[in-house]
Formats: sequence, structure tokens, C-alpha cells
Amino acid sequence: MSAAHEPFDELVAGHVLGALEGDDARRFAAHRAGGCAECERAIGEYHEALARAAAAFREAPPARVRHALLQRVGEAPTRRSRAGQALGWVASVALAASIAAVVSASWVRARYEVRLDQLASEAAGLRAALAQQVQTVSDLRRQLDEQEKTLTLVKAQAAAQERTLALLGDPETRLVSLAGLAPHPQAQGRIIWNARAGGLLVAADLPPPPAGKIYELWAIAGGKPLPAGLFTVDAEGKGSLAVAPLPGVATVDVFAVTLEPAEGVQSPTGAMYLASKKA
Amino acid sequence: MVSPGVDLIRRMAGGDREALAAFYDLYAPLAFGLLRRMLRDVEEAAEVLQEVFWELWRAAGEYDPRRGSPEAWVTVRARSRGIDRVRSVRRREEMLVAPLSETAAAVPEAMANPGALVEEREMVRGFLRELPAEQREAIALAYLQGMTQSEISAHLGLPLGTVKTRMRLGMERLRGMAGSRT
Repeated sequence: MSAAHEPFDELVAGHVLGALEGDDARRFAAHRAGGCAECERAIGEYHEALARAAAAFREAPPARVRHALLQRVGEAPTRRSRAGQALGWVASVALAASIAAVVSASWVRARYEVRLDQLASEAAGLRAALAQQVQTVSDLRRQLDEQEKTLTLVKAQAAAQERTLALLGDPETRLVSLAGLAPHPQAQGRIIWNARAGGLLVAADLPPPPAGKIYELWAIAGGKPLPAGLFTVDAEGKGSLAVAPLPGVATVDVFAVTLEPAEGVQSPTGAMYLASKKA
Repeated sequence: MVSPGVDLIRRMAGGDREALAAFYDLYAPLAFGLLRRMLRDVEEAAEVLQEVFWELWRAAGEYDPRRGSPEAWVTVRARSRGIDRVRSVRRREEMLVAPLSETAAAVPEAMANPGALVEEREMVRGFLRELPAEQREAIALAYLQGMTQSEISAHLGLPLGTVKTRMRLGMERLRGMAGSRT
């Protein structure tokens, strides 16, 4: 092997392995076009060597391939068909063309239909997988929304508890009991009250309000009832209400709860269910 | 010794279908084994195998025994059609996988990464075992997976020059061994 030929030894190996690209591929093609016996011999010998190496993989193919191949060959017009020789040149060309049209259509169908079916089923599989992903994402989003709502609720509860604790720690805070009155004597309530910070009402054993009605808390100061918030109770008769501070009211004499129309009223109209003793 | 395939190819060139059947029985396992290593999927390999033998049947008249053995004639054609298919499968997978990749982390790993190394090693077991591992690897990636020299360089994290050298040394060694056996 000559020194001048050396660069091409590397290119021959890459060429036989189909791995050349760009400038290398162009350079080798140009060299080969000039006619190089050494390269041609090397290419041949490399192909033989690879064929020997590939023999390590020998594996029996599925029987249907042989069958399909022989059928295809049997159906196809041969290059040396006797019919072609018997008919004139023009007729044979016409016949070959029409046979080829029919045959090629049928073998194209036979060849690609299976593949197209397979592609279609792969695509359907991917679409299904994608739909499932989208569903999962939307499920996750819903769960996240629910968790966010729960978190907001928990935060609100924590804030309320914090306020309650702060309220309880304040020496000006007092605890006021409310007793059940005639409509439902067993009802009871408590208010933690701080004139500056407001307070919290907790009620128990109140009958659930009828439709269109709601309980309203009143803070009575100097003989005048001030609306202090609306609340309802659960099936067990329990309810609670955070009460905002009442501007300008230093002392509340009495807390009371009446049953009022659902939108609430500015001065009591309904029956009184709970009331505290005058402070 | 003249390979029995040479005579069969000559008869095939004359339109002898029985010769094709015999030729297929003799050489299909060679081509199919190679295609299986390239394509993994049996269906794909079987489809390409039929195409390869169809082309061999049609090209029988062009075969020149002075230019190569029937084995080389068959494997060159099988490898070439196999690589066409490897590349088209890769393109199809890229086309189908790419639009999904943003939404779906669910694309199977094997699909997103067809060249998983373990599988690569498994597929080429017994192939070129006479060669040093690094030469075998470079040759197998090109021959069986259709990678170009620069793709192999990127895949293995090696300088391009190293890949070229390994290919040349491996192929020369292989040729030497083949020569010593004939």
C-alpha cells in the first residue's frame, strides 16, 4: 500500500460501513471516480469480511416471507415472458403495462396496507396515551384546586384560632354566656368579647333556621340594639360567628340572638332565642 | 470452490423461480439475522427481507461473481435496505414523539432513546468478537445502526479522528482474518 494512498485507506473503511459524510464522502467519491484498483479491491474484501462477520447472526426468518416472496414473483411479469415473445412488440408493451398497473397496485396494497394499519394503530395508541395524559393532568389540576381550597380554609381557621388566642390573652377580654329563651330554652351560647378587637360567638342547641330565615346577633349598648352579624347553625344546632368590633361602643350591656329574614335587618323584628344577662 | 449461490443466481437471471426458492433458503437466514440486529422489530425485519430478495431476483442478471461472493452480494443489499429502514423508523419516531414530548413524560424510554447501551451490547453479541471492543463498537454502530462517523464520535464522546482510526484498524484486521481463512 503506497504512502500516497494512505489517506484513502481510512476513507475506504468509512465508505464500506456507510459512515462517511460531508467532505470525506465527496473526496472519496472523486478519488474513486478516477479509478483506483486498490480501493476497489479493498471495498470488495471489506464487504466479504463483513458478510463473514454477519454470519454470526444467522436466524431463520418467518415462513410467511418465503411464501409472500414466491407469490409476488409468480404474479409479476418476468423479463423473458413467452407471452411477450409471441405477441408483437407493441402488444407486449401494452400487455406488460396493463399487467404492471394491476400487479403494482395489488403489491403496493399488499406491501403497505399492513404497514399503514400498523402505523394507524401506533398513532391511535399514542393518541390514547396523550388523551390519558391530558385526563391525568386535568385530574391533578382538580386535586390541586381542591387542596388549594382546603389550604385556604385551614389558613382561615388557623387565623381565626390565632385571633381567638390573642383575644383570650387580652386582659380586657371577657367571656359572656347567653341563655336559651322561650322559643328554645335548651339553646345556649358564649361570646368572647373584646371591645377593641371584636369577638367570637359560639352557639349550641339552636334549631336550624327555617327556609328564608337566619339568626342575627345584636349588641345592645345604651338601650340601643346594634346589628353584630348573621349566622346559621348545622344539623346539630351548632354555629359560630366572628364579630367585628363595634365602632364607638366601649361597653356592650347585652348580647342577644333573634331569628330574622335571611338578608338580615337593621333592628330586631323576630323572636329572641338567646340573650346574655345585663353586664 | 464456487459457491452454490453463483449457479443459483445465474438461473435466477434466467427467470428460474425454483432457483430463487433455493437461493432464498440458502441465504435468507444470513440476511434476516443481520436485519434483525439492525431493526429489532421482527415485522420490520421480515418486511425488509422480502424487499431485499425481490430486488436480488430483479438484479440477478447484473451479478458478477468476480466482484464478490453471493454472501457479500446478499449482505450488502440487506444492510443497505436495512439502514434505509432504520433511518425511516428513526424519523417516524422523532416525528411522532416530538410533539408529545412537551405534554408526555410518559413516552416510553426505549422509544425516546432507541440506542440504549445495554440493548446495543446484547444485539451485537457474538459479532466481530475477534476484534478489540473499541474497534468492534465503532464498526457495529456504523454497520448496524447506520451512524455516521461524526454521530459515533458524539455518541461515544470521542474525537472524530479516533473514531476513524478505530474503524480503519478494525476493518483491516477483519479483512486480514478473512483472508487467512480462505
